[in-house]
Amino acid sequence: MPSLRKGWTIQTRVIGALMLRELTTRFGRENIGFLWIMVEPLLFALLVGFLWRALKGPEEYGVNIVAFVVSGYIPLVLFRSCVQRGVNIFTANGSLLYHRQVKILDLVLVRFLIELIGHMMAYLFVGLSLFAFGMFPAPYDLSYLLLGWFYYAFFTLSVTMIVAPLSEFSEVLEKIIPVITYITIPFSGAFYLVGSLYPAAATVVLYAPLVHGMEMMRYGIFGPSINPQFDYVYPIAFSLPLLAIGLLLCRVVRRRLVIE
Amino acid sequence: MIICENLHKSYRTGHGRHEVLKGINLRVDRGERVAVLGQNGAGKSTLIKQIGGVELPDRGRVIRGMSISWPLGFNGGFQGSLTGYDNARFIARIYGLGYKDTKTFIEDFTELGSALANPVKTYSSGMRFRLAFALSLAIEFDCYLIDEVIIVGDQNFQHKCVHELFEKRSDRAMVVASHDMTTIRELCNRAVIIRDGKVIEFDTVDEAIEVYSTPPHE
Repeated sequence: MPSLRKGWTIQTRVIGALMLRELTTRFGRENIGFLWIMVEPLLFALLVGFLWRALKGPEEYGVNIVAFVVSGYIPLVLFRSCVQRGVNIFTANGSLLYHRQVKILDLVLVRFLIELIGHMMAYLFVGLSLFAFGMFPAPYDLSYLLLGWFYYAFFTLSVTMIVAPLSEFSEVLEKIIPVITYITIPFSGAFYLVGSLYPAAATVVLYAPLVHGMEMMRYGIFGPSINPQFDYVYPIAFSLPLLAIGLLLCRVVRRRLVIE
Repeated sequence: MIICENLHKSYRTGHGRHEVLKGINLRVDRGERVAVLGQNGAGKSTLIKQIGGVELPDRGRVIRGMSISWPLGFNGGFQGSLTGYDNARFIARIYGLGYKDTKTFIEDFTELGSALANPVKTYSSGMRFRLAFALSLAIEFDCYLIDEVIIVGDQNFQHKCVHELFEKRSDRAMVVASHDMTTIRELCNRAVIIRDGKVIEFDTVDEAIEVYSTPPHE
């Protein structure tokens, strides 16, 4: 057991150091520094939210339209950034692998955690600000909001874990990633409620794990009036094998990695 | 000790694979300073990367019975866009060192002065090596991997290197790849040649250098 604990200590130390390093590299220490991580999702969500407000009026599905759009959009941007940033992660960070205790899984995990923290901070910040202006409700059930985030993030991590090694095998992947993330939009549950779709369409979108996470989050915020549709087991049963495949691919790619 | 057992390593090229290491067997014991000689492309750096665990072999394995530095050289190990200080802080963190002592040590040892606050990508190869070397001394490895390096610098710096490595750490092992025979004669107490992907052992450093310097006749 002591060696396991030692390994754990080293890995947490490495992940902490990598996160600080990544934040410094990406955002520097000038002005607001690492707070920049929440600026992009924040602006995106607010702009799209107010655009919908201007186009469609104050409410959608009986809830505040800005709150509805923001709650869908920020997790979607999380998924998109993670997948995009997963591309070529190993080649770009090759020099880090000079240090034996840095494992390639750490690289994926660190990118993912930084995006997750950034987007959750943006979510919290936007939620509180809109709440102050009466445009966001107090959460109906915080535990479902968090559970939804967990399901959404877990699937995102699984996909990132696959994209990262695959992008080292083929450059084609990098080119088609924007298309893939675009196609994901209808399967993210961001811009509709499953309960309001035609039954046939609802059946189809519920095959997408992200939709379950999104419905959970929305239930946690808006409560039962939105008629949430989700399953606890299915998204995990979908994500776990993906994650396993991703870990396997990472092992394979580590052997082939050529480091300058 | 370090034991390389039947190491094979190949790289993909435009047409098929090119096998660089074809069954390397090498044992390095505590206190041994092994020079690795070989033509350009013979596989010196490749071997050092396998020993350091930077790349993984296709076949065979490396048994590491002592702590080994990362390959110290002109590239690798640093993030170019970060300053010398930031790199030092990162490396101190992942190896579990206190940053304050490390910082004092590298300022003292490298004599890079204000350059430490500049991005590492602006450094010359000599400056990079100084920083890498200083950091690895601060971490106190049992074995230092040194790739393609002439101990560059003024008299004072050379004196410090000799003092730190030979006087204070004479029990440490080293694996050195270099083309500079003067350095190798000074540093090493054993030498091997890599030729055709295999290791050739010699009794003395001079003997190895002599064989290496004589061009092979067809």
